[in-house]
Amino acid sequence: MRKLVWRNLLRNKRRTLFTVVSLAVGVFLLCVLGALLQTFNPTETETSEKRIIVRHAVSLQFELPEAYWRRLETIDHVDAVSPITWFGGIYKDPRPENFFSQFATDPVTLLEVFQGAEIDEAASTAWLAERRSFIAGRRLAEKHGWQIGDEIFLQGEIYPVDMNLVLRGVFTYPADEAQENQVFFHRAYMEEALDNPGMVGTYWLRIDELENVSAVISAAEAMFENSDARVKAETEQAFAASFTEMLGNIEFLFGAIGLAVIVSVFFITANTMAMAVRERYSEISVLKTLGFGRRRVLGVVTAESTGIGLVGGAIGVLVAGVLIRTAAEGLSTMFPLFGAMTLRPSVALAGLSAALGLGFLSGFLPGYAMARRSVAEGLRKIA
Amino acid sequence: MSLPLKYSARSLLVRRATVLMTIGSIGFVVLVYLGVLSLAGGLTAAFSTSGDPAQVVVLRDGALSETSSFFSLDRGREVMTIPGVQRDSEGTLLAAGEVMILNNLARQDGTMSNVTFRGVAPESFRLRPQIRVVDGRTFQPGTAELIVGRRLAERFPGLALGSELTLGRLDFRVVGVFDSDGSSFDSEVWGAAGDLGAAFRRDGSYSSVLLRAGSPAEAEALVQRIAGDQRLKLRALTEQEYYARQTTATTRQFVYLARALAVIMAIGACFAAANTMYAAVSARTREIAALRVLGFKRRSILGAFLLEAALLGLLAGLLGGLLSLPLNSISTGTTNFVTFSEITFSLRTTPRALLGGVLLAVLTGVVGGLPPAWSAARKKIPEAMRA
Repeated sequence: MRKLVWRNLLRNKRRTLFTVVSLAVGVFLLCVLGALLQTFNPTETETSEKRIIVRHAVSLQFELPEAYWRRLETIDHVDAVSPITWFGGIYKDPRPENFFSQFATDPVTLLEVFQGAEIDEAASTAWLAERRSFIAGRRLAEKHGWQIGDEIFLQGEIYPVDMNLVLRGVFTYPADEAQENQVFFHRAYMEEALDNPGMVGTYWLRIDELENVSAVISAAEAMFENSDARVKAETEQAFAASFTEMLGNIEFLFGAIGLAVIVSVFFITANTMAMAVRERYSEISVLKTLGFGRRRVLGVVTAESTGIGLVGGAIGVLVAGVLIRTAAEGLSTMFPLFGAMTLRPSVALAGLSAALGLGFLSGFLPGYAMARRSVAEGLRKIA
Repeated sequence: MSLPLKYSARSLLVRRATVLMTIGSIGFVVLVYLGVLSLAGGLTAAFSTSGDPAQVVVLRDGALSETSSFFSLDRGREVMTIPGVQRDSEGTLLAAGEVMILNNLARQDGTMSNVTFRGVAPESFRLRPQIRVVDGRTFQPGTAELIVGRRLAERFPGLALGSELTLGRLDFRVVGVFDSDGSSFDSEVWGAAGDLGAAFRRDGSYSSVLLRAGSPAEAEALVQRIAGDQRLKLRALTEQEYYARQTTATTRQFVYLARALAVIMAIGACFAAANTMYAAVSARTREIAALRVLGFKRRSILGAFLLEAALLGLLAGLLGGLLSLPLNSISTGTTNFVTFSEITFSLRTTPRALLGGVLLAVLTGVVGGLPPAWSAARKKIPEAMRA
């Protein structure tokens, strides 16, 4: 029985190979889509869940008064508060490969709030001491080849001032490498250049225990309920997710594409199996005459197609695993978001199951039709 | 002598089931390609009808969009009086100082997005003649009233006609819905600059000034004049260019995605086409030999099979194109990456994209059909006869 399946697979080697390849391409694509989709849902780490971001309730276009800093510190369960303002300047030119996050902050409180980031003692001291200094994430520093002491120039877009900064430290963020694509510099330097407007883009809060998150969020929002600048508070998770939300229904788009890929691949594998079964009509009739039941005939055909599905799926997942790792680096220059792209086991498993399901179905459907047809008719075809 | 087209076409009909499935697999490749491109097509259409080449947008120096631009009313008034700005028959300057505010609101599905609120001057309507109020009436300045772009009103429940909303310090009411022929203004909420400015404490500044020049050439001259004025510290560009820049930044991602998907899927589909054509060749081995005996050259056999594969691709391309047409009735929204605000648009498959999709399908068929056609042409007559 097993031999029969094996022999049939090898009977038209080219056809089997082609089908496996097209199936592999389909599964590869599904895996890549799945990995891409997951880059939109940021990694959950304990520290990022324990960070709360407070911003103006209207939108990020509006800033909060500097005076909120001290008031936020008085909320229970808040261990530290740091002002973080998105500078959004242009490095070199406005091309997407030169885009990265730039924040003006208070260096002392930043290190308290940005838990999870690691920076060595000497670098941190140097950074704290010098007004014009900045720190960069490891990935970003490597990408641009920055060395300690290098100067960078950020041309202001949102703010009408330019920042001339010098690198004093590189930080790592082992729990979430995507965090290593940012730059932080002294808020005092920017404020001075702007003639001290006393405004802050967002405040980051560090909470003592995870369970107090919602209490702090309510307290922060209630605190400024009746002031001119009402605030919206949310976890870093939710804050990051809000940007994905703005993009619209990405999940639906990717889902629709994935579905079309599956349908397309199904046509390919079903076609192959239909061909294979059709040309074997008389042979199957012989098998049935010899005493093979309908179920076994069907079993042989579906085993064959499921085998194709398994091999094609495995190749697709393997290639995706290897390529995604290498492609992520390349893609990150164009779309910084994709730098953290990896093939998670859940996505790989989904791809493999899709391939197995497709393989099974594409053999079962023609096989079922064939198993039911009359033996006499099939035998007549031999002559 | 080459084989007639009919031969290739009829041959496809013989193996109907197989051919249909192959057409299906390639057709879906084309569908994905066209589907993703229709997002780019819709966005381009929305922006291209927004900008007038004879008008000039003035922003703060260094700002790339109205979102991050603000400058004093005095500087705004100064730039309005620069020579080259048109006046109407009554002597009114065709210039509008506007305030742009982003406000986070909930979409129908509960997700949040930034909505553009544009505080406008009376002249703003004259500079954007495509805007027509289609439901309700226009706003009365000084009474905290708003009008909403048609698509936005459909997408954000809080912006439907008659609804009330608190913006900054004031309560506003939506009194009208406007249509702007699918342009990006359909994704905006308009109110009086004074009202919106007061609500958000932005009444001391403009985000942008829009100026009307006599012609596109005069608009270019006006741009140069403003750029050359060191005192103003303002940046000017034609309205057409302003929106074109937003288009490329936002559509680029969809174009890349469409191309990448199409290439990868087409590679997979090539093998499907090859399988089908190999089956066609092996079923017709004797027929091919007969044709050769009749005097048809190898070249003609190769040509006939390639044509058959190309026809297969063409049919698939047409199927994909046909399946993509209903997409044109779908309207959706995403974020404009330059202004960071919601832009709503209808999916649109352009003729150029359709042509590209069909070509992609034909190419897939031909590439997949080439090896089998080659093997058909090389068959030896005596062996093939015996098969």
